[in-house]
Amino acid sequence: MAEVDIHAPGVEVKKSCCYFCHQNCGVLAYVLDGTVIKVEGDPEHPTNQGGLCCRGNIALKHIDHPARINHALKRIGERGENKWEKIPWDQAITEIAEKLNQIKEESGAEAVATAGGTLRTEDWARRRFMNMFGSPNSFHNALLCWIPTFMVETAVCGWSPFETDLGDSRCVILWGYNPGASGMPGMRGYSDLQKGGLKLVVIDPRFSETASKADLWLPLRPGSDTALALAMVHTVIFEGLHNADFVSNWCVGWDELVEHMKQYSPEWAAPLTWLEPEQIRNAARMYAKSTPSNIQWGCTADQLGPTSGAGMHARMILRAICGNLDCPGGDLIPGPSFGYLTDEEIEANEWLPEEQKAKQIGSDKFKLTSWPGYQRIADTARETWGKAPTAEWMCEAHGPSVFKAILTGDPYQVRALIVSATNPVSSYGDSKMTLEALKKVEFLVTCDYWMTSAALYSDYVMPIAGALERPTIHTNYGVTDSVICSQRAIEPMYDRHTDYIFWRDLALATGAPADQWPWENEEEVFYYIIYPLGYPVENYDEFVEKYRFYYPPLHYYKYGEKGFCTPSRRVELKSSILEELGYPALPTYIGCAENEIDHPELAEEYPLVLTTGGGFMPYHHSEQFQIETVRYLYHDPYFTINPQTAAEMKIQDGDWCWIETRRGRIKQRANVEASVDPRVIFAQRGWWYPERGIGNGEEPFGCLESNVNVLTSVDDDHCDPLGGSWACRGLLCKVSKVSPSEIGVAPDTQFSIPGSAKEPGVSVLPKDSKLAFDPIPFDPKPSFEVPEGLVWDKGKRKAVQESTGFEYDADSGWLVDPESEVWYDLYSGYAFDPGENNLVDMASGKRYDLETREELASSGPAKGNARGGARKAVKESTDTATPDDAKGGE
Amino acid sequence: MTRYVMVMDQRSCIGCQSCSVACRTWNDLPMDIIYNPVVSEGVKGEWPNVHVNYTPLICMHCEKEPCTRCCPTGASKKDKDGTVWVDHKKCMGCKACVQACPYGARDSSEMAPRFERYAQKCTFCRDRREMTPGAKPYCVDTCHQKARIFGDLDDPESDVAKIIGSVQTFRLMEDYGTEPQIYYIPALGGQR
Amino acid sequence: MNKHYWTWPIVIDLFLGGLGGGILAIAMAYEFLYPGLGPAFAMPVLIAVASLGLACFFLVFELGQPKVFLRVFVKATAIIKWGAVLLSLALIAGFVYFLSCLPWDIFAFLVPLQKPALIVAGISGLLVMLYTGIFLASLKPHAFWNSPALPVLFAVSALLTGAAVAAATLGMWPVTMSTLLQALNPGVDAGLVAQEAANTQVFFQGKLQTLCMALIAVEAFVLLLYVFLLRGSGNEVARTVAARWLTGKTAPAFWLGLVVCGLLLPLGLYYRFGEVAAAAVAATVLVLAGGCLLRFLVVYADDRRLVPGEKRFFDRLPHHDAAFLTAWDDKESPY
Repeated sequence: MAEVDIHAPGVEVKKSCCYFCHQNCGVLAYVLDGTVIKVEGDPEHPTNQGGLCCRGNIALKHIDHPARINHALKRIGERGENKWEKIPWDQAITEIAEKLNQIKEESGAEAVATAGGTLRTEDWARRRFMNMFGSPNSFHNALLCWIPTFMVETAVCGWSPFETDLGDSRCVILWGYNPGASGMPGMRGYSDLQKGGLKLVVIDPRFSETASKADLWLPLRPGSDTALALAMVHTVIFEGLHNADFVSNWCVGWDELVEHMKQYSPEWAAPLTWLEPEQIRNAARMYAKSTPSNIQWGCTADQLGPTSGAGMHARMILRAICGNLDCPGGDLIPGPSFGYLTDEEIEANEWLPEEQKAKQIGSDKFKLTSWPGYQRIADTARETWGKAPTAEWMCEAHGPSVFKAILTGDPYQVRALIVSATNPVSSYGDSKMTLEALKKVEFLVTCDYWMTSAALYSDYVMPIAGALERPTIHTNYGVTDSVICSQRAIEPMYDRHTDYIFWRDLALATGAPADQWPWENEEEVFYYIIYPLGYPVENYDEFVEKYRFYYPPLHYYKYGEKGFCTPSRRVELKSSILEELGYPALPTYIGCAENEIDHPELAEEYPLVLTTGGGFMPYHHSEQFQIETVRYLYHDPYFTINPQTAAEMKIQDGDWCWIETRRGRIKQRANVEASVDPRVIFAQRGWWYPERGIGNGEEPFGCLESNVNVLTSVDDDHCDPLGGSWACRGLLCKVSKVSPSEIGVAPDTQFSIPGSAKEPGVSVLPKDSKLAFDPIPFDPKPSFEVPEGLVWDKGKRKAVQESTGFEYDADSGWLVDPESEVWYDLYSGYAFDPGENNLVDMASGKRYDLETREELASSGPAKGNARGGARKAVKESTDTATPDDAKGGE
Repeated sequence: MTRYVMVMDQRSCIGCQSCSVACRTWNDLPMDIIYNPVVSEGVKGEWPNVHVNYTPLICMHCEKEPCTRCCPTGASKKDKDGTVWVDHKKCMGCKACVQACPYGARDSSEMAPRFERYAQKCTFCRDRREMTPGAKPYCVDTCHQKARIFGDLDDPESDVAKIIGSVQTFRLMEDYGTEPQIYYIPALGGQR
Repeated sequence: MNKHYWTWPIVIDLFLGGLGGGILAIAMAYEFLYPGLGPAFAMPVLIAVASLGLACFFLVFELGQPKVFLRVFVKATAIIKWGAVLLSLALIAGFVYFLSCLPWDIFAFLVPLQKPALIVAGISGLLVMLYTGIFLASLKPHAFWNSPALPVLFAVSALLTGAAVAAATLGMWPVTMSTLLQALNPGVDAGLVAQEAANTQVFFQGKLQTLCMALIAVEAFVLLLYVFLLRGSGNEVARTVAARWLTGKTAPAFWLGLVVCGLLLPLGLYYRFGEVAAAAVAATVLVLAGGCLLRFLVVYADDRRLVPGEKRFFDRLPHHDAAFLTAWDDKESPY
């Protein structure tokens, strides 16, 4: 037992942070001679105030774990043979860059894709690399984690109102969110506020750690969150619980919403959610009557598959009509940062050509979270805020579609994949298909701490610096206005480098201009990011040591100045952006991917409902399974089954069981516990067995044996058509005990597209597979009568004069030149000159009276340059005035 | 006098085991030694009318501790502040104290090297308290839920004295007569 | 908690302690009943000394830290300290007694110490025997041990094993019955002594076997009473363990091993074939095995009253041979 003196001479205290989930709690690292000797929670950090969970406390076990990758590895054996040559970092970068450039030359930049993991990497740098390289195909598991919610909410109200102002709140709904196992600092906040009277409503099919502390708990059927949300909106509307002032002043589409929501009564939702109508009403009443109140987002929202989008929309509507937006105690709209630089500003999105954007895989199907939707939202945001949401995360290729493209060549062959900070086999849906894609892709590079099943099949494995070896800047995907900074405790050990260095080195090696990557390390670029805040510091470390975080002063009711940042400047209950993209403008229910009502024949074979994807202590996604200290406490995967169901199946606590869906089966041990409905099982995610080694080579590290993503589905019709989220929750499954003869059975590795254990191989190409619902052709009708001589442009939603391209302004009855913004008279075609307050014929230079249209005595500019001169004069003065202003002034 | 005690707020505890892991890493314990497991019978009841309760265990630093009395070598000691600890240099590993403890708070590793198998137990982080005056055991500092409250029961101004003086608390297995110094605030029916 | 802190070394230790103590106590008792007979127990005493020595060995090397083992004597409140003191005393006194019985001249100076040594050895042996039971019975958290009847049970069992060994090895080298009688009756004809010695041997062997039979009966009574009473006791842990012995997982070991093979079978052998050497040896072995098994069953009945949930927590911990515990033992990354 090492007793370490943290006050010994020479020990430095570094304000570092925990790097084992993306809460990034503050950590004090005690460093002696370049070695971290102890870590503990930083009592002054705003997130954790000294607390550290299982994950944070393992930092010293992680930093030099004997299974860590410490050198760049070049494959020398066959793929998957685990034979490597250790090579210098720079050599690896050069060789990777050569191969990428070759692929780019032969097949176009889009044949190179990158897969990412969680928020903790410097992924704006990855995007910067990809944009300059020219490929639109970077992606994350973002679609399972908040991004579709952000985009739907941003489409409806201009910027996702994700910051809960809990201090003044009276009621918070934790919707599919279990901070008790996945967000400990948050849980502490709720517990504290609850003692002061905050009401906690927990919506969770499982009696989770958080549900056990709830004031009201709704144990709904997994995957039926959307039906619940719709029924709650129904209750609020038809019991008159909404905030009428806010709705009439700040919302559009209310009447259509009322009409549309008639169908979604609590009685309608009861059989879908397995709740009593009265339970649903009570929850809605509690939320709507206890304003200001909040809905806290939970990962569930993005993991329901096809039903996700409508649920996000419905929750957004619930917040808006109850008047909880951007008010004290409500759901605050942070908007982008106006202090430090946002991620979007350093992503170099302008480098990516339009024709490359169009090649983004999945952007033809899942439009909201890829270039079509992002572009629309970003443009709208720029009009109001002047800044846009981050493109990395919010605008990505559809991960599963990229894996399918690798296997099928549809829509085109993806030849290279760079995997950074993720193991797609564990974290993406349909693991068997994903594993096959990793085995098949022509060129694979993995950046990781560990030898994962993805790394094993790689051509190069890059050693990545982890916790304590890197500084961290926390800006919540770059879409909030506050920042928390942490410093590097020690320089990276061995030949490890951070992912920022990887992308920078790779960018330079592939030929990106050096002046575009001036920052040699994170400290430099982070200083560049925070410099505009204006703190009197010389460098990033000094900022961390002296200030550490920046929270701008709270401004409520920001919409009062410019309105919400939507096309109509109002909360669009009926969303014009969704409508334009071909999605229902009002939340429209479709059932979850597999359910007993829509698929009764399936439910007969698979009678139980599977829910998964939920976080559990002490692991984070597929991380930390190597750390013996925590693994000792949680060494085997457990799925939870109700004692009643277990008794019927003669399953005892701790028995190994098969869990099987249409796509395959896995083994987990039974945790017989009354924390789930008798019809439901809850399976743990992320399991693999790094201690096992490569085994027979088919399924290295036991990566399929207990991996719950073997069971989940990424079929196009199981994905949310809006955001592309695939289905992790509410799937149908069956459970049986593993018989003694089956103990050694190797998992089935046969992949299938679409996912079906009975039909291995590709039976439907991605281009032939349908979405959960067909796109609704966007056919906007003019809200005014189109004057004679003009035509209705659907795309622009404007009446246009075909010969000139001028657009018709329906409010004033004038034509506007979109380029020069000069106003023209609809009938005569004369331009308006606010300088002289009259009309000009651009062709002749003659001037006419504004009211009578009669020619005025010649007083125009000199002949010869009449046209240009008039135009110039007109242009200069129209910057501030319109003909209507002029008329109004008369 | 100083009498260190700990209050476990079962209303706040969510069974995350952060304290167990924190303790294991701070003290660099052998793999099979857990000073402070958080135990639970799991979720009980008839769905959906269910409840759950988490009990953080730790050395009770009993006032009438059976463990030091049965230690033949004098390795198990009690400080003036009421904390019980083991002087490893003097422990011969007979495990009499391990067997004498009604709370399972002592253990001796089977995975440590052969001749390092002495009795091990929580010391209320003696090292931290010695290093920094006023420091608390690490499990207290690391608990996000602030479910562990540490202090001097003889100081009427301390949080623990105020809690124990005003809130209903209980102690585990008082019938053994060891007068344990860990107080639990019950979570009634498992609820807050 | 499913972990047994004390395993086979403690079992052996308790068994050997009881055996050694039992032999010494029996030897002393016979010396008092039949003055002058003592030296015939030289071999049994040697076995006792060897048992106690082995017990010490296990305590020191299997359980403890040899470096600090001598500290075992420092704390007066600890029962182990008294156990160690008594054990040492019995060991030394027993050894002195054995040496004094040796017919070699170099040990002649010890002859005056013979009787005091036996008394010291006998009394400390008796206390060692009791100590094994008292030690376990003093550990309050273990309901199955924490009973005043446990020292009785252990004492009876210790006496039984002692008597059985004594019966089997009485009058063996170095002091056979004939040497003893020769020494007691100098000048008597050797042939006569040999005749008498054989008779005496049979007589005392018979006495000891009868004692064994009585002790078997007593032990069986105490044992069954002990287990059945705990089976019906108010303490849930004791009840659970007793049920495990009587009808549960350890029932075969208890009924077949302990009751039948350890008690009834030797009883029958002593009763019917006491004079047949092979049968006597078999009975002795069975009694010893039974004594060992009893300690084994008792030591493994170390259940403690648990906090609700404690069992669930510890049951879910991995075995110590789990692959992940050793997979990265080489401490240097291959990558």
